[in-house]
Amino acid sequence: MKRIEEQIWDYIDGGLSNKEQEALAKKIADDNEYATVYAEMLELHSLMASVELDEPSMSFTRNIMDKVNLETAPLVLKTRVDKRIIYSLSAVFLVAMVSVSWFAVAHTDFPALALPSFNITMNLQQLVSPLSLQIFFYIDILLALLYVDRLYRSKKA
Amino acid sequence: MQQQTDQALITAVLEGNSSAYAELVNRHKRFVFTMAMKFAKNREDAEEIAQDCFVKAYRSLGSFKNTSKFSTWLYTITYTTAMSFLRKKRIATYSMDEEDNHLQLENHISSFQANVVEKKSKYAYLNLAISQLLPDDAAIITLFYQSEQSLDEIGQVLKMESNTVKVKLHRARLRLKEKLEYLLKEEVKELL
Repeated sequence: MKRIEEQIWDYIDGGLSNKEQEALAKKIADDNEYATVYAEMLELHSLMASVELDEPSMSFTRNIMDKVNLETAPLVLKTRVDKRIIYSLSAVFLVAMVSVSWFAVAHTDFPALALPSFNITMNLQQLVSPLSLQIFFYIDILLALLYVDRLYRSKKA
Repeated sequence: MQQQTDQALITAVLEGNSSAYAELVNRHKRFVFTMAMKFAKNREDAEEIAQDCFVKAYRSLGSFKNTSKFSTWLYTITYTTAMSFLRKKRIATYSMDEEDNHLQLENHISSFQANVVEKKSKYAYLNLAISQLLPDDAAIITLFYQSEQSLDEIGQVLKMESNTVKVKLHRARLRLKEKLEYLLKEEVKELL
């Protein structure tokens, strides 16, 4: 059940059906409470509708045009992105992928579709060498520098 | 008619006639500035926001698809820019429950020095009451009453369903009425 205020606002805004509009008009005419709320809301409504807009300073438009003249002229997106280029590139990649796949399938021998067996043995002594450690630390330092750079940029922004 | 003329000006700008943009600015500056005032509460910040909106709109003019009115598109930029401004500046919003409310009201009234004559009029009180609403409420009321936007268009600007806008508009008007009653106390009976 809507509150009286909500019903009256709907009535003033014209958001009710004809039947509801008529029913509410009758209620406003007959019921003192509805009539009082309606008078209040209507006064507020017309007051809000008659409020004038604020006026910016005299130099407002000139200031904007000064800034706009420093900007690159806007272009319609259609002229910036030609769809034919995108379709051509897509076609080239598609043809390349299909050709490579076809070539791979054509030159592969499937001996009874047997799954190959894998013998995974890892020698940790070989993996942890001075060179691999150096590479590991180098990548770590690089990642740390990237992180610091990103952090600094976000703080600056 | 207005929409066609706006579109003609946009086409002229996109064809390289950047001075046509000045006409678009003149046409919409008062509303954009009024919206900005609802968020910023002072003229300097509001002008900064409004100018920022028009520069952003100019940069993105090429992406305007004409599926909505130019004004609706522009007000979306205005709302987003004003909200970002609020987040950055963290402007304190007034609450009627705060103890120092009377002091704030006095300060706020005195900041409207340009409207000394109007200060005691019902419009001054209404503007003051709107300025004390939450930014979203003030934006909905301003868009509905001062920009002639439909509920659907307001929904586009605020990224809400039109039904949500309708409910929010009802609530905003009730809050506005309460604030007016508080401000005017006995005078409200004369006003309403």
